[in-house]
Amino acid sequence: MSSLLNTLGKHFPECSKGDLIPVLQHVQDQEGYISSNAIREISEYLNISCSTIYGVATFYSQFKFNPPGRHSIKICLGTACHVQGGDFILSALQMEIGIAPGSTTEDGRFDLERVACLGCCAIAPVMMVDNDIHSRLSVIKLRQILSNYE
Amino acid sequence: MKSDKGTYISVEIDGKRIQVPEGSTVLDAAASAGIYIPTLCYLKGLKSYGGCRLCIVEIKNMIGYPTACTTPVTNEMEISTKSPELQSIRREILELILSEHPYSCLICNDKKECQDFMHTIRKVTVTTGCNFCTSNGGCELQDLVEYLDLKDIRFPITYRNVQAVNNNPFYDLDYNLCILCGRCVRICNEERYSGVLAFVQRGNSTLVGTAFGESQIEAGCEYCGACVDVCPTGSLSEKMGSWVGVPTDSTTSICILCSVGCKMNINTKGNRIVNIGPRPGKRTEPDQLCIRGKFIPADITHHPERITKPLINKNGIWLEITWNQAIDLITKHFKKFTGKEFGIIGSAHDTIENSYALQKFCRVVMGSNNIDLSPTYNDLSLFKKVQGFQPVGIDEIIGFDTILIIGSNASVSHPIIENRIRKAYHHGAKIITAHSHLNRTHQFSNERIIYHPGSENIFLLQILNDLKTAQNIKFPKDISDALKLIDTKGAATATGIKQAQIRKITESLAPAKKILIIAGDTLFKSSLSNDNFNLLSNIYFALNNFADCEMMFLVDDGNRFGATYIGMHPEYLPGFLEVRNGAKKWSEAWGIDIPPVSGLSAEEMLSNLPGNNFKSLFLKGDLPNHEKLDELEFFVQQNMFITETSKYADILLPAYCFTESNGHIINIERNLKQINPAVHAPESIKPTWQILSNISQKLKNKSFKYRKTDEIYEEITAKLDLSIDKTTRKTSKPELSMPDIKIPGKKRKIEMIPEPDYFLYQGNSMSKLIPDLKQLIDNKGGKHG
Ligand code: SF4
Ligand code: SF4
Ligand code: SF4
Ligand code: FES
Ligand code: FES
Repeated sequence: MSSLLNTLGKHFPECSKGDLIPVLQHVQDQEGYISSNAIREISEYLNISCSTIYGVATFYSQFKFNPPGRHSIKICLGTACHVQGGDFILSALQMEIGIAPGSTTEDGRFDLERVACLGCCAIAPVMMVDNDIHSRLSVIKLRQILSNYE
Repeated sequence: MKSDKGTYISVEIDGKRIQVPEGSTVLDAAASAGIYIPTLCYLKGLKSYGGCRLCIVEIKNMIGYPTACTTPVTNEMEISTKSPELQSIRREILELILSEHPYSCLICNDKKECQDFMHTIRKVTVTTGCNFCTSNGGCELQDLVEYLDLKDIRFPITYRNVQAVNNNPFYDLDYNLCILCGRCVRICNEERYSGVLAFVQRGNSTLVGTAFGESQIEAGCEYCGACVDVCPTGSLSEKMGSWVGVPTDSTTSICILCSVGCKMNINTKGNRIVNIGPRPGKRTEPDQLCIRGKFIPADITHHPERITKPLINKNGIWLEITWNQAIDLITKHFKKFTGKEFGIIGSAHDTIENSYALQKFCRVVMGSNNIDLSPTYNDLSLFKKVQGFQPVGIDEIIGFDTILIIGSNASVSHPIIENRIRKAYHHGAKIITAHSHLNRTHQFSNERIIYHPGSENIFLLQILNDLKTAQNIKFPKDISDALKLIDTKGAATATGIKQAQIRKITESLAPAKKILIIAGDTLFKSSLSNDNFNLLSNIYFALNNFADCEMMFLVDDGNRFGATYIGMHPEYLPGFLEVRNGAKKWSEAWGIDIPPVSGLSAEEMLSNLPGNNFKSLFLKGDLPNHEKLDELEFFVQQNMFITETSKYADILLPAYCFTESNGHIINIERNLKQINPAVHAPESIKPTWQILSNISQKLKNKSFKYRKTDEIYEEITAKLDLSIDKTTRKTSKPELSMPDIKIPGKKRKIEMIPEPDYFLYQGNSMSKLIPDLKQLIDNKGGKHG
């Protein structure tokens, strides 16, 4: 893990507290998410307390605190998808894989995230698994789709 | 508010014209005009935050409703604070705040009737209304509801339903009651610099918390209790108070658990301590305490294992006896062992009055100079020498531009002093820490030195030597000659600190204008105490060549200085008069001949038993387990508890806690401070001076007789000035000599000084007595060390 400290030292030699957000972004790029260990290391490096870093990080939706799953599901809850029953799909999805948005399944298969509009409102409700768009979702279709991702 | 030297401007508030210093906020201005503006998130001493919006006002030519706590006044501003419109918006704001807080209590019709019964159901740990709330009576929401005359709340209540935390030591957390005012977050970060609390998540899910929801201990909480003190609701509350009820009285006293001597307000109900906070009644306003002052006194005062009657040891079984029996027995034995065979060991957690009585009793009634304090310092003359330095005020610390702190774990031993170091650091002072272990102060340091344990004196020597070489400071000839002999390589091996690091320190000292050296306890708890003192003093004089340098000695217990000064010492009579030279003054005052020979130190009394002809001991407090005590012929212990040591005692007498005592102490700043009783000790306990007085009467000694604590104080102050003159100190240079500094790198004997236990009260281990403290100490050793 001290390799993290090394790269921090390289990219942020100033060690300034104002670098917190770029540092968090950098760590997320490197490791895919912000782990509690990473927060501890950043805390040491920038001399900011873990709680404060966590507070700042949780304020922005861009940061994740769980390791990404093998497949990332983004479920749309934008206006069009909402009207077409997006939240139903979300509930069904949650039941199916057993996790809430913002987390990763225990077996590391999926992580789940909700987004505001995927830009294809005409075929709502939609979700994206990795880079594939799945449209006009229904509860029945959902299972089938998921079974394609191991 | 700004200093009175600044310019004043004129403003009009609610039709009242006043002059206020420039830079004041509208809230400050209103306060100086005697106008109340409701506030919630604002707290004097913390940066304004503008979060609750209750303090909104109307200002002519300003759009909207600015918040008084964040808006600075400008010349000729016209402010209105109480229009019906404002009050109605405020009411609405409060309604919104309350929609996330169980509010049935606040607008309940039966509030009045309910008052009488509410303390009966406080054991419930989750608060759903005022009946169950630990903050009831201290809750600021109750005041606001009353002020704004809120009768109804039109919004549906959202109960957050987060898990209340009640396995945290000392205080409970129930964020269902939190109104997100941010006071706790701000005080923990901006005043204590502990960085435990933060707002986490965003929007509706915002809560106060720690990283990944870790426990307070894991997040490095120092249990200073500041967050509890400032919380306006029952969200954070002391465990000890939650079963007692609303406090009815408040007593201002002084914490004597360390030499800082913080002011504390002990809030009580009946004869019980409810909580201890910095301010009477309400808990807010950040004058602060540390874990010991905030949480521990109540727990020891009301400890279930406390003894309240005199006890006699009958073959290992404790039997209660009456005071008369106890005094008779003690007198009978004390008669047999007068003079050198008798001695007293006291505690620096005791008042000046008790300390004076103990030493006078020993000298006048028993004819012995065998008097000492426990724990003891190696160098008996240390405090007399320390007196040669001008004391530094705790709040002056922040005014130094460079602080060198050596051999101290101050965040544990003297938290409030260490807090000022943190403050100085955040104000841009340069902090140099040197200690044998990593500690929390390192987070607030620019230079961090970790020398090998036991090598303090060589480290000091390295600094001194480098000051001479690099900074060209002229030393007296004997010292500079001695410094020539230093084996710098050997020194670096012994301390583990390379010459380059030492140079970095002296280079940071060079541009300084005001330097403070803070000398920790570990420097004086080793047998090299005298060397360390001399080296430090030499460094002090060297630095005074180019800067204004002061020195602060972190002595341990609350009244260490006062008790030593008042004569709890085998070599000094009250006022640091040597037994050899001062006996006349005090012999005359006390009307008896004091033996003009030094007595035995605590160490000497106990370690050479039984060969040293020492036979009888009166001990106030507790000692670390000392098997030799078995050799004593007669041993009386006065203590609040039965301890390991008690098994050697013949008679055990109960004792007062400082929360029950009346008297004085002299703190680290050498200020005389008054201790006031907040609760009464159980009636069957007598104060130390009274016990001694009873014994003395039984012994038919006329020169020792007191009826009140005040009589002792009057007797002392008639002979001795306790308010120590601080202005003349700087001129009286302490005597200095150079220690033996031929230091071969390898052959040197290393003396390891174990980290002292800072959680002692009169020698009793508080972590053994208080389960929460034990939990805390057992769980530590994590990342914050
Ligand atoms: S007790 Fe002190 S250190 Fe702990 S969270 Fe509260 S303010 Fe911070
Ligand atoms: S816990 Fe108390 S002090 Fe902290 S934000 Fe909530 S209400 Fe305010
Ligand atoms: S800093 Fe010292 S005097 Fe102040 S509360 Fe803590 S132990 Fe008591
Ligand atoms: S709202 Fe779902 S894609 Fe636009
Ligand atoms: S007191 Fe001014 S906004 Fe809260």
